[in-house]
Amino acid sequence: MSKSNNELSSEFSVVGKRIPKLDAAQKAMGRAEYIQDIKLPGMLFGKILYSKYAHANIVKIDTSKAVAFPGVHAVLTGEDVPKKMKMGLIKDNPPIKKGKVCSFRDEVAAVAAISPEIAKKALGLIEIEYEELEGIFDPEKAMEKNSPLVHDHLKSNVLKMPWNIHYGDVEKAEKESAFVVEDRFTTTWVTHCCMGTSGAVALFDASENLTIYTNTQIPSLAHKDFLEALKAMGLENKRVRVIKPVIGGGFGSKLDTYAYEHIAILLAYKCHKPVKIVFDRVEEFKATSTRQPTVTYIKQGCDKNGKLTFRNMRMVLDNGGHTSWGATTPSVMLMPISSLYRVENVKYNAKCVYTNNTYSQAMRGYGNPQATFAIESSMDILAEKAGIDRIEFRRINKNRSGDETPQGLKITSCGLEECIDAVKEELKFDGKNEKGVGTGIASLIHVGGGARIYGSDGCGAILKMDDYGKVDIFTGGTDMGQGLDNITAQIVAEELGLLAEDINVVHSDTDICPWDVGAHASRSTFVAGNAALGAAKKVKKKIQDFASKLFDVPCEKIELKDKLVFVPEDKEKSMTIGKLLRKAHFRPGGTMLMAEHFYDPDNQNMGKELKGNMSMTYSFGAHGAKVKVDEETGKVEVLEYVAAHDVGRAINPLLLEGQVYGGVVMGLGYALTEEVTIKDGKIMNANFRDYKLFTAKDAVKIKAPVIETIDKDGPFGAKGIGEPGCVPTAPAIANAIYDAVGVRIKDLPITPEKVLAALKEKNG
Amino acid sequence: MKAFKYLSPTTVEEAIAFHGRHSETAKYIGGGTDVIVKVKEGWMEPDYLISLKKIEEMSELHKNDATGELSIGAMVTHATLEKSLMIRNEYPIIYDAVSNIGSLQVRNVGTIGGNLINAVPSADGAIPLIALDGVALLHGPDGERSVEVKDLFIAPYKTVLKPREILKKITIPPQEPHTGSAYIKFGRRAAMELPLIGIGVLLTLDDDDTCAKARICLGVAAPTPMRAFDAENFLVGKKIDENILIEAGKIAADESKVRDSIRGKAWHRKEMIRVHVRRMGLKCLNMIKDNY
Ligand SMILES: Cc1cc2nc3c(=O)[nH]c(=O)nc-3n(C[C@H](O)[C@H](O)[C@H](O)COP(=O)(O)OP(=O)(O)OC[C@H]3O[C@@H](n4cnc5c(N)ncnc54)[C@H](O)[C@@H]3O)c2cc1C
Repeated sequence: MSKSNNELSSEFSVVGKRIPKLDAAQKAMGRAEYIQDIKLPGMLFGKILYSKYAHANIVKIDTSKAVAFPGVHAVLTGEDVPKKMKMGLIKDNPPIKKGKVCSFRDEVAAVAAISPEIAKKALGLIEIEYEELEGIFDPEKAMEKNSPLVHDHLKSNVLKMPWNIHYGDVEKAEKESAFVVEDRFTTTWVTHCCMGTSGAVALFDASENLTIYTNTQIPSLAHKDFLEALKAMGLENKRVRVIKPVIGGGFGSKLDTYAYEHIAILLAYKCHKPVKIVFDRVEEFKATSTRQPTVTYIKQGCDKNGKLTFRNMRMVLDNGGHTSWGATTPSVMLMPISSLYRVENVKYNAKCVYTNNTYSQAMRGYGNPQATFAIESSMDILAEKAGIDRIEFRRINKNRSGDETPQGLKITSCGLEECIDAVKEELKFDGKNEKGVGTGIASLIHVGGGARIYGSDGCGAILKMDDYGKVDIFTGGTDMGQGLDNITAQIVAEELGLLAEDINVVHSDTDICPWDVGAHASRSTFVAGNAALGAAKKVKKKIQDFASKLFDVPCEKIELKDKLVFVPEDKEKSMTIGKLLRKAHFRPGGTMLMAEHFYDPDNQNMGKELKGNMSMTYSFGAHGAKVKVDEETGKVEVLEYVAAHDVGRAINPLLLEGQVYGGVVMGLGYALTEEVTIKDGKIMNANFRDYKLFTAKDAVKIKAPVIETIDKDGPFGAKGIGEPGCVPTAPAIANAIYDAVGVRIKDLPITPEKVLAALKEKNG
Repeated sequence: MKAFKYLSPTTVEEAIAFHGRHSETAKYIGGGTDVIVKVKEGWMEPDYLISLKKIEEMSELHKNDATGELSIGAMVTHATLEKSLMIRNEYPIIYDAVSNIGSLQVRNVGTIGGNLINAVPSADGAIPLIALDGVALLHGPDGERSVEVKDLFIAPYKTVLKPREILKKITIPPQEPHTGSAYIKFGRRAAMELPLIGIGVLLTLDDDDTCAKARICLGVAAPTPMRAFDAENFLVGKKIDENILIEAGKIAADESKVRDSIRGKAWHRKEMIRVHVRRMGLKCLNMIKDNY
């Protein structure tokens, strides 16, 4: 039996404690400042006009009426955008399009005016003549020879980013397999549904330096993007300051810079005034990026003892009209494909294909949920074919500490087996279920120790102490609700013998905070946590050095706890940290205690061969669901849910559970209800009435057992847990449905219609 | 959002007079859960919103014990109906419908009258009132008139109300003994959900257990809330059992005019009518049995 989450980390004072989110009161009392709350003197309001067609040439734009409209300060079209101002992974996306549009969300003009209402009216006065072109909306069809081209200058809709990997010998392994299964799985568009909509406020000072308040998960990378934007505008050597206000949700949606940010910059520059652009809910649905839809072909096999022999997967991803980070998700899909369970021979081929649909981006799990849906559904199918119990099958193939996977991932701490056991125990897999009720399990592997996607996977932290025993820590890491503020405070407080409330965590301001690659890849606790720990250790050493002289004992004898600096064996030698700080400061040649630390994990970029240990360590988990299927309606009710995770160590079990609960509910929506309905490129359900996000009433009771494996490289042994909660949810549900009523749904979301249709087909 | 003036008359006559003065640009408002959404989205731009909230008689919920007639003021909120034990015990079909509308917040302000006059095919409140043979009392510049709730709707967002007319209340005739009624909203979510299909069934049995009266009412099955007359006629005079209800479900599904939409497929909606006419019918039979 796993320990209850209340019995963890008893050896520590602050780490392992259930300390509520540090800004909870601010948020609950409406005092937290979101982008919506920011008002600057003289501020104008920007609005964006989007394309009327999924695919069309822009023949003519007449903005004269909008320009003349009282209250309008500026109108921009694609002609006003500097040629080199482009966004996205391969810079194929100017913030306002010129000549041609290739999706409904393509920006064609923008207005700045003295009120949002006037800006909106002015948009209506812009006259555009289009010449509609044939669109292409199915990625598999878009790969065909005579398909219309989304980008004319490219000869094909297939992105020149081939993901082609072969470890071992899949063909040989297939021949030698006792059992082989083959299937096709599909997933559709879903979106982050951040409660706080997107927005930015841009302003230039008199020397043409830019400050931009913006909803971002990547202050440092956004800083770079905006420097490039200024350069494209002819503003070389100017400064950029990125400030992220409190944001109402990230989930990956803010891992790129967007057109609205660049447009706010252009408008602010043109108007010499601050310009604010904030999305309404419809715009949030239509003009932010989704998780990428996938078509997955999977074939895997095992020997007669149930040992996996090979896994062969091929995917087609709908890239949409432009290229953002969605196109790199195969790099993360590769992780479960090559390394979820022991499998030596692995082949993976993925193609991202341009279509005239909305373009996709990063979303919690970064490709892992799509890949795991196929893998874990297929695991059950294979187990059944081989006649092996599905839990036993997973146990036979489980990852183990010390493994190096075909991709080169080095498995250090690994609690996968304990996670599987916890699920089995909680859900009573052996028990008989009543009719229509079934159980399902699915596991996960995810990066838990950073992810080296850029040249650096680092994070900086600067720590200073005042004269009273309080700390300000300036971290590169970004809190976006996930709780990096708490984690940082708890780690620093533990190291320095203080309380979490003694630590002020300052983040998300590029003028003040050091560099960090961003709040992505479940990396903040591990990487920003290690950066904070490193800085705290340096300051601790300084405190010990000073105390060593003061108490005349060797450094190693000095401990910090309960706000005291003391020598355990000598009760006389004890002083409050505050007093020690003042003694250090207020004397001739005095000093204040400060330190900085830059932590860059020792993980590897995957080279051309797509091999390498991309994370310092990996998080594991197993999810189990018990569902009841109404066989007459096809409706699925989730009766029980267990989500067990190996997190290394729970720095804060309360927030950890919050991450898991939130992830699972997001995953359940992915499994059962959520879908951006797109018809010929047009989003048909840009509202919460028809986009079926789970409500509080739909949420199910979730048990979240925590498995602690105390990772050797994690801060206090911790690994990342931001994303895993939503990774194996869909296959756990799909497997439970199969167990309940014997139908296998291979297309998400699993709607009552699909279940009922499958039941009818099965029952004839 | 365009600015508007908010008027709060205290009598029906006063409200109609206000409306007369501002005719084209005025709009009645109950709880505002439909109106304000439309104003905010810019689909409706009234200069005046005439609130019916202060007209006390319109918020009355009352059962006349002498006649057995139930009277529901148009301004009675879903929450008031949901919390009334009398409604819950004697008109379970109303309880079934209103207790699942939107969310607690929406039910606290949304009214039954607004639900009817907004006249969407998915109006949860309309189905039980049709099943119960409700009658709408309308009051306009020329005085009062009555219309059966089933005849209130012309098309989506369109009722038989004349300009300036107010829906004052809905009356429900006395219920016969041995009556059971039930409604189900079939949807994807547990809250904040418009029905993919709404199914209401009411059955009254004679002393010898044959069906004296049947009502099968459907939401989202046609451009307006509808009654499945063929299925109802099929049931009347028969001894009701599960097989008969299965048959009735098929007939109701056949006479429905369900369509494919982004929310759901027609074939599935038909299936749901079939299944739930039987389920709701059985629920009615159990109620009747329990109350003997
Ligand atoms: C989040 C949300 C969820 C919802 N969920 C549901 C749901 O699950 N099921 C459902 O059926 N509906 C739902 N609705 C719609 C709405 O809440 C209901 O239709 C509600 O009953 C409307 O009542 P109201 O008093 O708010 O109407 P209002 O918005 O005040 O008025 C609606 C219309 O009726 C007119 N009107 C109102 N009262 C009178 C009167 N007495 N005489 C003449 N005309 C009148 C108004 O002029 C207007 O045209 C939902 C709405 C929201 C915003």
